[in-house]
Amino acid sequence: MKLIVFAGTPGSGKTSLIRYVIQELKPDFKLFFAKFDCLRTNDEKNIAEKYGIPTVKKLAGELCPDHYTALELPKIIQENQDKDIILIETAGLCLRCSPYVNEGLGINVLDITSGHPNRYGPILTDADIVAISKGDLISQAEREIFRYNILEVNQGCNIVEVNGLTGEGAVDIAKYIKNAVDMDGKKLTLKHSMPSAICGYCYGNKIINDKAVHARYLKGKELKSLVPNLNCGKCGFKSCNEFIRAVLDNKIKKEKCPFIKIK
Amino acid sequence: MSKKIKKITIFSGINKFGKKENFNKIEIKSGETIAVVGPTGAGKSQFLYDLERLAQADTKSKRKILLNDKIPDKEWKIDPKKKLIASLAQSMNFLTDLPVEDFLKLHIQARGKVANQNLIKEVIDEANQITGEPINLEMNLLDLSGGQSRALMISDLANISISPIILIDEIENAGIKKEQAIKILVEEGKIVLIATHDPSLALNTDKRIVINNGGVVKIIKTTLKERGIAHYLNWIENSTLEVREEIRQGKRIKDIKLFCEKI
Repeated sequence: MKLIVFAGTPGSGKTSLIRYVIQELKPDFKLFFAKFDCLRTNDEKNIAEKYGIPTVKKLAGELCPDHYTALELPKIIQENQDKDIILIETAGLCLRCSPYVNEGLGINVLDITSGHPNRYGPILTDADIVAISKGDLISQAEREIFRYNILEVNQGCNIVEVNGLTGEGAVDIAKYIKNAVDMDGKKLTLKHSMPSAICGYCYGNKIINDKAVHARYLKGKELKSLVPNLNCGKCGFKSCNEFIRAVLDNKIKKEKCPFIKIK
Repeated sequence: MSKKIKKITIFSGINKFGKKENFNKIEIKSGETIAVVGPTGAGKSQFLYDLERLAQADTKSKRKILLNDKIPDKEWKIDPKKKLIASLAQSMNFLTDLPVEDFLKLHIQARGKVANQNLIKEVIDEANQITGEPINLEMNLLDLSGGQSRALMISDLANISISPIILIDEIENAGIKKEQAIKILVEEGKIVLIATHDPSLALNTDKRIVINNGGVVKIIKTTLKERGIAHYLNWIENSTLEVREEIRQGKRIKDIKLFCEKI
């Protein structure tokens, strides 16, 4: 089974590209499509009707949509063991997270009119494939400069120019998907860690400039620089971030981390 | 740096109804200009797209493209520095907020070359032969008119992109001297393909490929008489352009030339 994650800002053309990619893959593979969004979407229904493949809608609601995607992935995989390829479309709101996994293929759909590529974080820098959309709106020269700028921030990626209106580039994306590694039985790991949740606002605090929230953030930031970020588990927690939160909540002493003790 | 392309060979594919196209192979030689004509939606853009991605029976049309009688290397498609094919699309704009000079420097750099003043000057000079409204190096790209933008893109294609094959999807209604534009592109010994509805462009070529229902139905060699007609049509358009410029400059229009001086 192959796991393909499409990420990209809203309106960049993810869904249009996925439609054409499904057309390319459908004759030879058993597909499943999961659409993640925040509040509402109908794409999963439209795609199911048009292409006759099973789909599901996942709405993150109050949760950060990329975190929610990571939370739901194992369940989707578990329920679709008979499929060849699982296509995931993320909500695409955050440049910071982007739930690409090491065991699958990460595709960033990048709107060429959306500014310099160096402003994007992991959503672009950790992508295996960058699908540039809307290239027909700007000059050849700017397209070439754009490619060059992408390679400056993500040297290892493959770049494909796509067009969500005509389906241009979908054949190439489908080829990369066919050649992607199988994830069968492997444990899924995120390519890039999600934010640390060390700031009080992550916990729902609404008062801005509240001293306690700020103090917690500063302390959390300091701890983040002290821990090894190896998620070794020696402190009894699964990840360094969980450990930091426990320290901030006064549930455990920071010296419980063997690396902090040494220092 | 550009690879020497002496010949493109296109092997026939199928039309929208799955029927074989009305030819076995089309050969286009370096220095030739070809028009791609046919009703809206007939498949002109698909024909150019097959060329752009150097199709190997892997697109809708199942056409196959050879360069110099060989299957093209994959890297020619992917690496912008080795890009063989440059294209001008229908609705292109500049989006970069930079003076013309800085922008050209960036593009030269993206093409893996060292920017020099002579090359930049040449780009501007040739662009100014195509547009009636002169461009200078200090102008901001975003302030250029439609005609100036087009002219700069074309001159950039001819002088900086130096890809041996150029695809143009509609060039009309742009306020530029089209005949001059094509001349600048072809002068460099390139292969130029233009999808167009414009009679003066379509007749000012070596051949025209007629497309309908997704397939090539005819290949017509341009006669000397047709070329003369093209020249006449162009003369009319250029005088329209002159009048347009005079109106812009607040002049009164006293008279209009009725006959072309030279055919």
